[in-house]
Amino acid sequence: MAYFMVVLLDDNRMGKLRGTGLEEHIKYMFGGELRLLEVEVTEELKDKILAEFETARVDSRGAITDVPVAFMRELFNQVVEKKSLGPEVVEGVLAKINEIKEMAAKESEYLPPPDIE
Amino acid sequence: MSGLLIERPLPHGGRLVERVIEDKRVARKIWKSCNAVYEIKPTLHYETGVPVRNVYREIMSICYGFFSPVEGSMKQAEVERVLKERRLLNEWIFPYPLVFDISKDDLNKLGVEVGDRLGLTLKGKPFAILDIEEIYEIDPEELAYKTFGDPETNPEVVQQKFDKKHPGWVIYRSHQPYVLAGKYTIINPPKFKPPFDRFWFPPRKSREEFEKRGWRTVINHQTRNVPHVGHEFLMKCAAFTGDVEPCPGILVNAVIGVKRRGDYPDEAIVEAHEAVNKYGYIKPERHLVSIVLWDMRYGNPLESLLHGIIRQNMGCTHHMFGRDHAAVGEYYDKFATQILWTKGIPSFGFPAPPTDVPYGLKIRPQNMREFSYCPTCKEMAYSETCGHKREKLSGSFLRGMVAEGVQPPSIIMRPEVYRVVVKWWKQFGYPFCNEKYVINKEKELEVDLEDL
Repeated sequence: MAYFMVVLLDDNRMGKLRGTGLEEHIKYMFGGELRLLEVEVTEELKDKILAEFETARVDSRGAITDVPVAFMRELFNQVVEKKSLGPEVVEGVLAKINEIKEMAAKESEYLPPPDIE
Repeated sequence: MSGLLIERPLPHGGRLVERVIEDKRVARKIWKSCNAVYEIKPTLHYETGVPVRNVYREIMSICYGFFSPVEGSMKQAEVERVLKERRLLNEWIFPYPLVFDISKDDLNKLGVEVGDRLGLTLKGKPFAILDIEEIYEIDPEELAYKTFGDPETNPEVVQQKFDKKHPGWVIYRSHQPYVLAGKYTIINPPKFKPPFDRFWFPPRKSREEFEKRGWRTVINHQTRNVPHVGHEFLMKCAAFTGDVEPCPGILVNAVIGVKRRGDYPDEAIVEAHEAVNKYGYIKPERHLVSIVLWDMRYGNPLESLLHGIIRQNMGCTHHMFGRDHAAVGEYYDKFATQILWTKGIPSFGFPAPPTDVPYGLKIRPQNMREFSYCPTCKEMAYSETCGHKREKLSGSFLRGMVAEGVQPPSIIMRPEVYRVVVKWWKQFGYPFCNEKYVINKEKELEVDLEDL
């Protein structure tokens, strides 16, 4: 099975992506209502993510999900920094694992809810 | 024509177990006859100390008949038979050992022996009694391994040795080493707190409700999740099964108990399912949300067997089973539940499906695959029908979207369902179960008790 991680794109993130050359890789889902990028994850990196984060799981599509929000934010930063969707993106994230775990510890207590009624 | 109609099945074991005393006068008299009193404690993770189970949920589910014909904490011979053949001593099939376990210290402090009546308090109030018929010792680690099987003994479906990453294995591994076996009786029925109170339909009540609604056949949807539109379509389409006509009733039965980190809170799960009928995605005349108390063991085929028992006891005629049913990780084959219900798993004691063995089940399995969005059809499409490339929908993917603060498109999560998620997110400061939620929930529980 091929593994990957999904980076969701809102307008703010779309602005940061401009000029990276990755725009052509943007995928549209659900009738165009959702824009995203898929980052490649090797078997070895998948095992490392699952070992490092208790909540992480692999869904039926092969997508690695349920990692901390801090991980997902850094994943996007690395995509922009490396201008790539290859395994080096996740390697870049895992290089900052201690920092991410520190932030994840805080976010496991509280995540600000969206402001909707 | 009448021969084609499916009748509501009898409870598993032939009669509904009901061990609940409502009369306070009688209850007080029974309470006074107890030889000792024990405050029920949550089972704590054997390494981390975080709650993983509370035996009160098993007592509730046994005494209200969800687990009929089980009547109490199992004796040693029964546990051994369940582990070997998945059968009770009275022959009826049953997947899991259920025991009242205590520590050596507690056993010594209580000083109880066989023949004694133990009073059980919950949140400091009288709750139930246990008439002790046997006291024995268990090895929790051995119990944990034997409960779920292993690749050597159960090669048909077990792919990987169980370990501490499996929450069900952890529950049994965290049991205390002494078991008090015997029948339970609830003598002070707990009161469910909102929102759970309006979803409490124990088997007698659910059967009465089905009668009242004219639901001759009912299909069950097992859930431990907030519904996305894929779930909604599964329910809508599964209900086309039945006999000479589609099932008039769809029962959503949510498992309430200790959840995994990252699952949605129980409060959000039940209200989100309710939103599906409240806002007309499935009309309320055809859709009922209910709960059962159980700390999930995530035993895929074994859990499906328990689900079949619970829902047959509730009066359902059909049960939906999907891929990776009640599973976590890759311990079992993804289709282990389908293997059990279509041809059996001999090493688990089923040379044939559980509906085709003596003392088996009557509820009928409805194996379902999945719905996902088809950009060509521009609608949610069934995997076995649609011939296009579809966009798979997973609960985990949705959770990621929710956590990042992105409202899912309405084609995959109804806005009313999302609003329920946010409502409870605001309440708990977090959209999913985290350690704080679990610890607090296990302290407060879903119920309160009055004085006796």
